[in-house]
Amino acid sequence: NRMKRARARHKPCALKELEVSVSELGLGYESDETVLFRYCSGTCDTAVRNYDLSLKSVRSKRRIRKEKVRARPCCRPLSYDDDVSFLDAYNRYYTVNELSAKECGCV
Amino acid sequence: DETLRSLAAPPSPPGQDPQGWRAPVDCVRANELCAAEPSCSSRYRTLRQCLAGRDRNTMLANKECQAALEVLQESPLYDCRCKRGMKKELQCLQIYWSIHLGLTEGEEFYEASPYEPVTSRLSDIFRLASIFSGMDPATNSKSNHCLDAAKACNLNDNCKRLRSGYISTCSKEISATEHCSRRKCHKALRQFFDRVPSEYTYRLLFCSCKDQACAERRRQTIVPSCSYEDKHKPNCLELRNVCRADHLCRSRLADFHANCQASFQSLTSCPGDNYQACLGSYAGLIGFDMTPNYVDASTTSITISPWCSCKGSGNLEEECEKFLRDFTENPCLRNAIQAFGNGTDVNLTPRTRLVPVTVPPRTEKSPSPDDINYSNTIYDTSIITTCTSIQEHGQKLNKSKEQSLCYSETQLTTDTMPDQKTFVDPKAGGSRHWAGRILPTVPVLLLVLVL
Repeated sequence: NRMKRARARHKPCALKELEVSVSELGLGYESDETVLFRYCSGTCDTAVRNYDLSLKSVRSKRRIRKEKVRARPCCRPLSYDDDVSFLDAYNRYYTVNELSAKECGCV
Repeated sequence: DETLRSLAAPPSPPGQDPQGWRAPVDCVRANELCAAEPSCSSRYRTLRQCLAGRDRNTMLANKECQAALEVLQESPLYDCRCKRGMKKELQCLQIYWSIHLGLTEGEEFYEASPYEPVTSRLSDIFRLASIFSGMDPATNSKSNHCLDAAKACNLNDNCKRLRSGYISTCSKEISATEHCSRRKCHKALRQFFDRVPSEYTYRLLFCSCKDQACAERRRQTIVPSCSYEDKHKPNCLELRNVCRADHLCRSRLADFHANCQASFQSLTSCPGDNYQACLGSYAGLIGFDMTPNYVDASTTSITISPWCSCKGSGNLEEECEKFLRDFTENPCLRNAIQAFGNGTDVNLTPRTRLVPVTVPPRTEKSPSPDDINYSNTIYDTSIITTCTSIQEHGQKLNKSKEQSLCYSETQLTTDTMPDQKTFVDPKAGGSRHWAGRILPTVPVLLLVLVL
């Protein structure tokens, strides 16, 4: 079981989806309407570039000290889904853009 | 040649349309067939010139125009039809009305529908909808069917995209004075209802409600503040004239009248007891000048109306009220909406999919005018071969208080005759729809009596 969980944690970066209510999105809208929320999840171990290795090395030699840098690729949306519209609890329509991921990648 | 000859219909008064059972050619295709024949194409060109910018009476005063019209009544153009959402729908309808405006007064209360009769039933949608029902555990949403319908749409990429499309268009403010672009909103609504399958669109539009929040959501489906309401409420006959000036709106209105006209001779009050056809033509009006909607968020009584009233009708008050009542007090439309909400459908007619492939065709000859007298010929040679499949089907129906019976051919001819009268509505296109459905299913007659 632990093995299964470990393997799940190390899945490569990919698009996943979840049914959530609009209220759960935390954007301040009050609505019971359900939307499909697609997000990016997974590791980027195989996408490490020479950039990441070099940055890590330079940082460890304390050549970069005060700045915030990230020396590993990150699983993020490459593009976003179309707009999502819904009716809220007060019968007003709203449209939200860039809510859901369309394509994921290690950047 | 042969195709042309078999398509040419014997002239008959419009409106009765006894040829409806023949698979109609669409008018774009009929136009092509006509263009291939020099005599037909020249007459058609003449007629179009006759009709351009003239009313019917001035046109018919011209002998050449009259002759052209008479010849064209024998051509495939005469009984051609169009399909909703087909490619070149507008072109098809323009061809249809170019002939039919010459044939009729063009000012009749009910006009014949240029669309092909609908043969599918509500139960076809329910079968598809049951695929989704598994994901609706109805518990977390307090069984708000309209909310479930929105969820089903949001989880389908195509439905979500086109729904968001019309919602954002219809709720986009243009300026301080202009609340929204009604033209763009209507266009987006038409795209939604034309391109999204009806198992999604009907669920949103005709969901059944127990509380006001649900009914208000149902009323809000088409974004009425932009697509429906207006500062000025026009007279309904005035609005009808505006609609009839547009080929698409005119066609959709004629289709609504053909499929939702209350008929007191059928069980459901609908022509041919076809709920699906009525709901389809109702949805077909959305996005035009005659856009209908729920007038309030009442849960008990459903009242539908276009945005118009009968104020200022003058001496046409009666006609105006009659027109408006087809929306506000229409038992067919109301029954159809309720039946969809409850998930029930009547099964009075045989279903095409029950036809066994092994049954030999009843007749080899091409349709002749004699066959139009379907009242007797259709029944007498039919043989029941699939009682088992009918009974199987019937068992399912028994659950919904309906009973199916398996008749022998002799019983059919005698027993069903009194019932059959209920389908024939001389005023409406009812007889055409009924005939259109029965012909392909001649070998099998499943008679289900709703008790």
